[in-house]
Amino acid sequence: MKQASISEFFEKNKHFLGYDTLQRSIITAVKEAVDNSLDACEEHRILPDITIELRRVPNKKDRIIMVSQDNGPGIPSKSIEKVFGSLLFGSRFHTIRQTRGQQGIGITGVVMYSQLTTGKTTRVTSKITKEATALKMDIGLDTKKNAALVSNRERTHDFLDYNGIPVEHGLKVEAPMKAKFQRGRKSVGQYLRMTSIVNPHATIRYRAIDDNGEIIEEFVAERVTDRLPRPVRSIKPHPHGLEIGALNRLLRDSTERRMSLFLRHTFSGVPMRAMKETLAHAEVDPATTPNEVSPEEAQRILNAFNTVRLMAPPTDCLSPIEDLLIKKGLSKSVDSAFVATVTRPPNVSLGNPFQVEVGLIFGREDVPADGAVDVLRFANRVPLMYQQGGCLLTKAIESVSWKGYGLEQPGGKGVPKGAATILVHLASTNVQFTSEAKEAVADNEEVFNEIRLALQEVGRHLKNHRKKSAQKAKAQEKFELVNEILPAISTKASSLLGRDEPDLAPVITRIMNAVFCEDEVTWDKEAKVHRCRIKIHNYTARPRAYSILAQYPETDTATFVENELGGRREVKGIWCWKLDTIPPGEAGNIEFSIQGLEHNDWNATEVFFRGSGDIIGASKIDEEILEQIRTEEEIATKKALEESNMALDDAMNHDVDNSGGLDAEELQKAMMGPIGERLEHSDAEEAIAQHDVDDSGTLDRKELLDATQSDTSRQSGLGEWGDE
Amino acid sequence: MMSEAKSREEVIESLNQVAAEMHDKMLKGQPPTMTLPVRSKTNIEFNKKLGVYKYGKKQTIRDATSLGSARQLLRALHVIDFIEEMIDTAKSSTLREMYYISEGWGLGKFGTQNESNNIAEDLEIVTRCMREDFKLRPEEDGARMIGNVTIEERNRRGDWMRINCRDDVGDSGYGLPYNVEPEKIRLIDQDIDFIMAIETGGMFDRLVENGFDEAARCALIHLKGQPARSTRRMIKRMSETWGKPVMVFADCDPWSFRIFASIAYGAIKTAHISEYLATPSSTYLGITADDILAYDLPSDKLTPKDIEALKAELTDPRFATSEWQDQINMMLDEGKKAEQQALAKYGLDFVTDTYLPEKLAEYGLSI
Repeated sequence: MKQASISEFFEKNKHFLGYDTLQRSIITAVKEAVDNSLDACEEHRILPDITIELRRVPNKKDRIIMVSQDNGPGIPSKSIEKVFGSLLFGSRFHTIRQTRGQQGIGITGVVMYSQLTTGKTTRVTSKITKEATALKMDIGLDTKKNAALVSNRERTHDFLDYNGIPVEHGLKVEAPMKAKFQRGRKSVGQYLRMTSIVNPHATIRYRAIDDNGEIIEEFVAERVTDRLPRPVRSIKPHPHGLEIGALNRLLRDSTERRMSLFLRHTFSGVPMRAMKETLAHAEVDPATTPNEVSPEEAQRILNAFNTVRLMAPPTDCLSPIEDLLIKKGLSKSVDSAFVATVTRPPNVSLGNPFQVEVGLIFGREDVPADGAVDVLRFANRVPLMYQQGGCLLTKAIESVSWKGYGLEQPGGKGVPKGAATILVHLASTNVQFTSEAKEAVADNEEVFNEIRLALQEVGRHLKNHRKKSAQKAKAQEKFELVNEILPAISTKASSLLGRDEPDLAPVITRIMNAVFCEDEVTWDKEAKVHRCRIKIHNYTARPRAYSILAQYPETDTATFVENELGGRREVKGIWCWKLDTIPPGEAGNIEFSIQGLEHNDWNATEVFFRGSGDIIGASKIDEEILEQIRTEEEIATKKALEESNMALDDAMNHDVDNSGGLDAEELQKAMMGPIGERLEHSDAEEAIAQHDVDDSGTLDRKELLDATQSDTSRQSGLGEWGDE
Repeated sequence: MMSEAKSREEVIESLNQVAAEMHDKMLKGQPPTMTLPVRSKTNIEFNKKLGVYKYGKKQTIRDATSLGSARQLLRALHVIDFIEEMIDTAKSSTLREMYYISEGWGLGKFGTQNESNNIAEDLEIVTRCMREDFKLRPEEDGARMIGNVTIEERNRRGDWMRINCRDDVGDSGYGLPYNVEPEKIRLIDQDIDFIMAIETGGMFDRLVENGFDEAARCALIHLKGQPARSTRRMIKRMSETWGKPVMVFADCDPWSFRIFASIAYGAIKTAHISEYLATPSSTYLGITADDILAYDLPSDKLTPKDIEALKAELTDPRFATSEWQDQINMMLDEGKKAEQQALAKYGLDFVTDTYLPEKLAEYGLSI
């Protein structure tokens, strides 16, 4: 791109850079600042504290100063000009990872927009830990040279946080710009609220100040967890979904000497066997230099990729929010009666790993019940505010038959109605948008299906919840009737007549004539465990026997600590107990405790049963859905096993000396294989030292499996997908 | 009537029967119950002997299988206990007082005054006693009466006071006490041709001011909307004792028709004592649906609620006569209703000079 045309380029493309209207420009500016802050904090493992302030400028129409401040690492003085002063176009092609920054052109765009609309500079204040003072400067752009113009550069002690305490490290940006303040669904406030839902580890403060100094909007969204998101990792491209142009570019730029090495080192998911088969299929000599591959050959390679069996790309490079945290984030932002969330297992589409998460809030009291539900869309933790209608995430919501789950849906399709909010988050290494504006996710059958499955699951939760609420109210009444009113009737009637009181037990059975389930989840502050009690009252005339199933949050950290009845895991998040036969008029009890969850991670369970008749307050387990979940789990396990076998086979191919095990050098080469990971020699030695159970000096197949699965080796990078 | 009033023992015995029904059921291992006649228009039948509408044979069993019904039973027991205590101590209380007293009944306390009124009515029906037997007084405001009628009322000191309801009262008339039985009110003398019951206070005052009671030789009684029991009882006693016809003068709307029905045939809520309260010889004088057209009266459009009420009346056995069916259908066709005071369109005296004389003449009552 010619340098002189940078501002022209900006002017021409402002609609997809997010600066097309005055209302949207301010959201875009805030978004760039917040994204930068969140990314920087995440990278440096800092819990983000972000403050956004909008100040209307007196006596200027549509002039707002955006002030953003974070507690991030700050920017070293030598980098400030680069970060704020030059537009970096073009994607980082070789880096494939889940990033926020897939939209917009970054913070430089804010400086550019500020300058173009006000002629003013942007003030940047940055403090890094190792320097005693903060660095303050005003930055403008030389659009001809695509470089920063710095003025008023000075050191200052006067850099304070929102509490007035000197900042240890952090960054502050003050940019005046032409913009319009507004409230509502497409506003800075809404953007920040949404951002806080999907970034539950961040505290976000927001304040909008009128030109007379009055505060017009203000809130603080406190963090609900101290757990930072898992760091996102970049992966090599996967051959599926590769286009011919991209392949040609990779071939041209490659420094590998042989095609065999090119295939193994450039892509993920290509084990030795697949490499050989691909080249054979494409009739390309493994010894060819990548730069010399002809376009016809390249096309044949591309075709071969689709016939040869490849490994799936790794999916642990994604960073989902995880359902418990979504739940917390949602609960803090709106008061509601019910929240359900689902995080689907990662999946792959066209070589791109992706993962879907949804949340459903129901029973909001702050919105009318007859309007369309609020739809909150997110891609890689970034709120999507525009083009809701054309977005795949919306289409998936519309495709679900909500009536069955108890939400109104006129005509049986479209966004349902009700005092509810539906959240959809798509995490992917490559989110495909419908246009450059990157506001609507493009159609993709696999993603669509995953979202539908997740929505159906929260829908089922909602349905059960509503049924249960109604039943609970009814049960409560019955309990009051037999435990309070009936004895009072008996006492009063008997005393009026001067007769003995009748035995009420048979009367109670007659009145209740049902089995009731009571359940509660409580938090034991002392023991730091969640206790769940389930009580099944048999108020019928005959003995009853059931298996009781209860939902619990199954996470990496949650473990059963007290569970006298034992039972067994049914499927993910469902435990099953067999209850002894309950005689008429008696009750069966289940009590268990779960450790390893934070307070409020779990507030209520859902109870299901197997057995005849009905239990008021519990649902009969849907064996079909259970089977479906079980099948999914089995497939996932099988797939993982296959993948791991494939990877091990491939790794063991590197046993060039046929010793039956891999030495450090072989291990290093093996790791260069399908996963394309570079392993330091010292790491390889360390891994061998740790996992070489038989002291052979090498890792055999079994030892290698242990090594790839152990946590310590994860930290050393073995079996993981490190940053490039 | 007091002549049929039950003895203390009979009242207590019949109240205890209600408690016994509950106790017996529980002894059998069944939910306690209270059996009542169905109190709706589907269960009122014309009693040829009495000439009024009474509850039919349909019964409803209120049993303690739902929280609401169970509470009703418990409340009924508390009320029974309370009544028996009053009978023992020779006290009485108003329904409203009982409502406040129930604050101390724990689980058996009333949610609203309406609930306590309903329970008292339930017990009347089940025990075939009157609430006077229960020592419960209504809150309801008795009606006003003006006309050349002489009565004696026993005052608080137990003395009989003679009152002429034309000469001994002011413009607001004689106020009927809640108890109009012979123990309290004696009918002494009269010089009237008929009794005229008037729905609204405005029209009552108009007729008083225009001296209609003297001109037409009648007793004017203000109904105050749906008439209280004592008002209906007084109308019945005067009509039957003295053999005077009753003319009901009301608005022309579905609610006025119901007021008339409660005077002439018995109200659905009190069908168990219709023979004490209803005056079958009553006549609906006006305003009729055809009056609206005949006198070209200012009218209002029927509201959806009015239409609903009229349609319900079409299937009410009390309105099964062809005259009433015609009136109601005509009203539905026209879609109009009118107030008594609409007659003022033709001047303040029109009602007494023209309208009422013309209407009364139809029934042979000339002025």
